[in-house]
Amino acid sequence: MEFSFTPEQRMFREQVIRFARKEIVPRSADHDLRGEFDFQSFRKLGDFGILGLHFPEPLGGSGADVVTTVLAGEALGEAGVDGGLTLAYGAHTFLCADTIFSHGTDLQRERFIPKLASGEWIGCMGLTEPGAGSDVASITTRAERRGDRYVLNGNKMFITNGPIADVAVVYAKTEKDVKHSGMSAFIVEKGTPGFSAGKNLIKMGVRSSHTSELIFEDCEIPAENLIGQEGAGFFMALQTVEWDRSALLAPFVGGMTYVLKKCVDYAKQRYQFGRPIGDFQAIKHKLADIKIFIEAAKSLCYRIAWCKDQGRPLNHLEAAVAKLFLGDWSLAPANDAVVLFGGYGYCHEYEVERFFRDSRLAPIGGGTSEIQKRIISKLLQWT
Amino acid sequence: MNFDFGERELSLAAKIRHLFGPDSKDFPAQGESGDLQPTRDSLLQWMKVLGQTGYLDLGLQDGKNSVPLAAARESLAAVAPSLFLSVEVSIRLFGRLISVYGKPDQKAALLPDIQQGKLIGAVGLSETGMNIESPLETLAVPAQPDFLVSGEKCHVVNAPIADWIAVAGKIDDRLAFFLLTPDHEGISIGRRIPTLGYDGVVISSLSLQRSPVPSGSCLGPFEDDEPLRKARSWEDEILTAAGLGLMRRALDCASEYARAHKSGGKPIIAYQEIGFKLAEMLTLFQTAQLLAYRAAWMAETGDRETEILGHCAKVFCTESAEKITSAAMQILGQRGYLKGNPAEEGFRNAKYLQIAGTSTEISRVKIGDGVLERG
Repeated sequence: MEFSFTPEQRMFREQVIRFARKEIVPRSADHDLRGEFDFQSFRKLGDFGILGLHFPEPLGGSGADVVTTVLAGEALGEAGVDGGLTLAYGAHTFLCADTIFSHGTDLQRERFIPKLASGEWIGCMGLTEPGAGSDVASITTRAERRGDRYVLNGNKMFITNGPIADVAVVYAKTEKDVKHSGMSAFIVEKGTPGFSAGKNLIKMGVRSSHTSELIFEDCEIPAENLIGQEGAGFFMALQTVEWDRSALLAPFVGGMTYVLKKCVDYAKQRYQFGRPIGDFQAIKHKLADIKIFIEAAKSLCYRIAWCKDQGRPLNHLEAAVAKLFLGDWSLAPANDAVVLFGGYGYCHEYEVERFFRDSRLAPIGGGTSEIQKRIISKLLQWT
Repeated sequence: MNFDFGERELSLAAKIRHLFGPDSKDFPAQGESGDLQPTRDSLLQWMKVLGQTGYLDLGLQDGKNSVPLAAARESLAAVAPSLFLSVEVSIRLFGRLISVYGKPDQKAALLPDIQQGKLIGAVGLSETGMNIESPLETLAVPAQPDFLVSGEKCHVVNAPIADWIAVAGKIDDRLAFFLLTPDHEGISIGRRIPTLGYDGVVISSLSLQRSPVPSGSCLGPFEDDEPLRKARSWEDEILTAAGLGLMRRALDCASEYARAHKSGGKPIIAYQEIGFKLAEMLTLFQTAQLLAYRAAWMAETGDRETEILGHCAKVFCTESAEKITSAAMQILGQRGYLKGNPAEEGFRNAKYLQIAGTSTEISRVKIGDGVLERG
């Protein structure tokens, strides 16, 4: 067992931090407050190579391994990129583009991946529905085969990038009464008749990401837009879980490192009772608890990435443990950061307020903490 | 990066599990009795056996933590918590002081017996009035043959059964460790102190009243307090690993029970109230494991964050141990409250780990200082 990064990985991490600090972070606060997606920064992520990092070079990527990809995500967070933009990146690259890359045909890869990797197109993934969240197999969106086309009907809910996406990976039932093996995945492009997005939902946090409903009303798509085989959709959704629990969580761990830095700076310059508040034990304890969380959480993300790099399939337990820990155990340190800043921490101007709001999504999005506990307890039951 | 255990880690862990397999199931009970002579006999017997596995040699010479050592420690701490603490204090605290800071003749005299598990060691660090920044009050004054040492030490693990004790003190305001046998002139070892947990670990106070110590029986005097800081970090490593062992033992016990015990026609693990509790326990345990192993790996590589990460691991592992053992007791129901089961025993033991060594409060202060300094 060893935990080192290669010199190239460490250098790349520094490059990502420098790039993000210069090109993206200065725009983060404004977009978060206005609840607006930062198209310019997103495109810059593409230009820098982040959006397609793990895809092969011929498809516009860099062929990076999963650990390096996770490292890049952590570096974005550590630089101070807001959770909204990193969430948009995660939904775009891992939930949408990677599904097409991993399960699609060569034609689908060649048509979609280069444009998604560059950021020219924005992707989203439609799985959750108003009546089906954690119980994904109970989705009711239907895809009915009619000759050389599929006709989609149904609604998707809480779809990150929904209102701005050019391409959506959509899960629908091709066999109405069959649960898991009745699910299939499709590519639906913006502008397809019968496909529309609802209005951007106003959220508590990750505000610079746009989230909406997706609506399918007799939406006809070519049969070649089916990804993989009919009935294989549930398995594809499961595979995205590993990305969800590593690459999507990594910016959050990095973000906590950014917050710790902010807290340290503040604790040094804020004087009370004639000395910096960092001299008080209670403040040191808060800093310590944030640091402990960061160090504990890091290895959980990288363990999944490493397992994926070894070609090990699924890694349900590792993924659920990481998601549960990061979700439930991050709330106290995020709160500590706000409290440490006192009244300033409650104001938009200070980034700990934004991070606190963003962090509240961690135990909810991409599988609630309760679902993670359910997965782990089932695995324990069968062990 | 590699999250799998290597052959070395796996093989040593397997040897330890084999040692404490079904044929040796009486050991933990004997080892937890706490009676002095049986505890001493049992400790020597098991150190000898452990010596044959290579366990005692790990990190002894270089004083460094490592992943193989951390993995082996977790295995032993999970099967025999009290034995683990006693062995570790003898080997990885007393033994390391000799191997890292001893003079050649001291090493020649003591190390072979330490490595073979023929010698029980103890180390007197804590003093009644010793706070984080307070100086040691155990002092040596010049006299014939060389020094007269006076001072009081409290909570010295293994003291009542030790062959050798290293006592931390000062010579001309410089740190030194005085190597003494229990029958040395002027030394007085207190009665065994009753404690909440670690029933099989014998702990007592120690008093030195103008005890004559030749300079040949000193480690040091040193230029700075680094050896004392090192000894404390060794102690913290031991307590961190002890926490992992308690967690694993309690989790295994609770999981097994929850799978086997039925209520309403189904195993209680099938109820979310129990299954979810176990999920939280497993999450804490695996997170603690990774943190402790990364801290061990970092110590091996000499990374500049080693000290801070060691404190992070100590706080997280020892506090998680209390949470997990408490949850395990709850899952076991009334059985969990009966004396002698791993959950109850672990729950009592866990508190010691947060208090002993660098307490969790002081550890947090040190982590805070570290991030403030680096920030």
